[in-house]
Amino acid sequence: MNVFRDLVRVAMTGLLARKIRTLLLLLGPMIGVAAIIAAVGLTDSAKGDLKAKVAELGTNLIEASASSSFGGQNPTLPEDVVERALTVTTVESVAPIVELSNIIVTPYEEAREKYETVPIPVVAVTPELPDVLEVPLVGGRWINDFDEQAGARSAVIGVGLAREFGVLPEELRTIDIGGHDYTVVGVLDSVQLEPGFDTAVFIPFSRAESDFLDDDILPNKIYARVDPNRVDESADALTTAISLGGPDEVKTDVKSEALELAAQSDRQLQLIVVSMGLLAIIVGGLGIANVMSISVIQRSAEIGIRRALGHTRRIIAVQFLLEAIVVGVIGGVFGVLLGMLSIFIGASIAGWVFVMAPWLAPAGILLAITISVMAGLYPARRAARLEPLETLRLG
Amino acid sequence: MQESSTHEVLMQLDGVSRCYGSGEATVWALRDVSLSIRSGDFVSIVGPSGSGKSTMLGLLGCLDVPTSGTITVGGVEVTRLADGPRTLVRGRSIGFVFQQFHLIPHLDALGNVETALLYRDLRPAERRERAMASLERVGLAHRGDHRPVQLSGGEQQRVALARALVTEPKILLADEPTGALDTKNAANVMEILGGLQSEERAVVIVTHDTGIANSAARKVSMLDGRIVSDEVLR
Repeated sequence: MNVFRDLVRVAMTGLLARKIRTLLLLLGPMIGVAAIIAAVGLTDSAKGDLKAKVAELGTNLIEASASSSFGGQNPTLPEDVVERALTVTTVESVAPIVELSNIIVTPYEEAREKYETVPIPVVAVTPELPDVLEVPLVGGRWINDFDEQAGARSAVIGVGLAREFGVLPEELRTIDIGGHDYTVVGVLDSVQLEPGFDTAVFIPFSRAESDFLDDDILPNKIYARVDPNRVDESADALTTAISLGGPDEVKTDVKSEALELAAQSDRQLQLIVVSMGLLAIIVGGLGIANVMSISVIQRSAEIGIRRALGHTRRIIAVQFLLEAIVVGVIGGVFGVLLGMLSIFIGASIAGWVFVMAPWLAPAGILLAITISVMAGLYPARRAARLEPLETLRLG
Repeated sequence: MQESSTHEVLMQLDGVSRCYGSGEATVWALRDVSLSIRSGDFVSIVGPSGSGKSTMLGLLGCLDVPTSGTITVGGVEVTRLADGPRTLVRGRSIGFVFQQFHLIPHLDALGNVETALLYRDLRPAERRERAMASLERVGLAHRGDHRPVQLSGGEQQRVALARALVTEPKILLADEPTGALDTKNAANVMEILGGLQSEERAVVIVTHDTGIANSAARKVSMLDGRIVSDEVLR
């Protein structure tokens, strides 16, 4: 233990005695590690908000929609689609919807022309939808069982529409939906996985049926939350369970897939910058080998006297190697800090979320140490092989 | 030499030869030399350049091994040892003083003395204490935090002496210890050196200066790689 302490002490004294030289030695591994960490961190941070969004929204929301194989109009799902979906054991909750077409929503008479040109989508919903989508209401309440049973003319609007109409929280007001007056009872928060809902109007199934449909109302789409570990097989099972014996085909879609794809870091860019960082650290390693070799020549008298004082070749070699290791450790640590600072500054300027994989810091330091040890091997061997008689110039 | 015969043999050279090069270019620097160094000896090894005294110094200091013959230090035949164990014997038994002092420039006086005690499994406090005591012995305790460049030649050589003594070596080997010093400092260093041989320790000075050589108690004269005389002066 004391011997190890001596080794560390002598290494530190040697490095501190030549501060400029040590600083130059540190630069190589430091810049290399910083470049690699900044490269990985910045490319990750560039997609950081998307990554965070994926994590927040979850990857287990599946949409199953009817699609007509004959190109028919308004394909529908079977009436008992919810029951069918729930037979799939990995399905946790289900909410059906009907996307109604050709209905004009007019918040106030003056704007009728505008909303005739660009119609607001009207969606018939059940009370379960916000729970399945895991989206809260900004204000008011959602369509409830009473609305459904009584066929109340209650409507909930998306947060985008609320802004457009200037609806204030808790404010009751009526809007014209296809010629009927509906009371706005709530505002739904932004639905990240279904952006179209932000500008949609939601009304109860029962009211939609009596106000706008000739036939019985049939859902054309369901949303299902499934076991997060078995998303893909759940999607397959849902397709089978729903389409069994029905006239129309069923298409399933994992809602987060597109988002996940968008959240992938740019691997090629990352590879290029990491390669440059590796190159920097290798050049830094060569610098260490070079400077330390010169240092061995400069310190040959010191090495000679140490050998005369009874320090073995092994001690001399380990001593030089330890200097290289200390350079690696300090260079690595500062490289990690510099890299983190670069990510932080870069992400702040670009308005990204700071993302740094936890393995980057230890990996960076380890890389710096490895390179330094490899660089220190040759000078250490040279130092150990010096003959004291030759370096001391006796006589 | 009748007096020294009662003392322990610290170092024994038997039929030692050392040559450099091979074939036609072979140079015999030392031919069939035998020599005993006993505790209590204050011996000078003197000779002109080319007499083989530098080779002798390398061998006495266990820095080199002979081409033939045996060298025994404290009962251990160092000529049979590999470099590693020989280095440890050197560190335990021999203290060096060089003409050019050979202090480590980036360490202060205390640090230089401490260097001789490194890797010996000593607690830092103990090592420091022993180094300080050794500096005190050469009268430089107050210069412990001075770097070599801040010290005069005489002071530097005294720091080197303190470094050589701090391990309590049986043999103190000095190579032209006054060669780089002015007369006053030279006398001072010689005085310290002369006072260092004891019942347990021998002091060996290698020099070309007959004046220095004659101030020792025993003088070994060399010429052309051989010992030509071994006389007791006092």
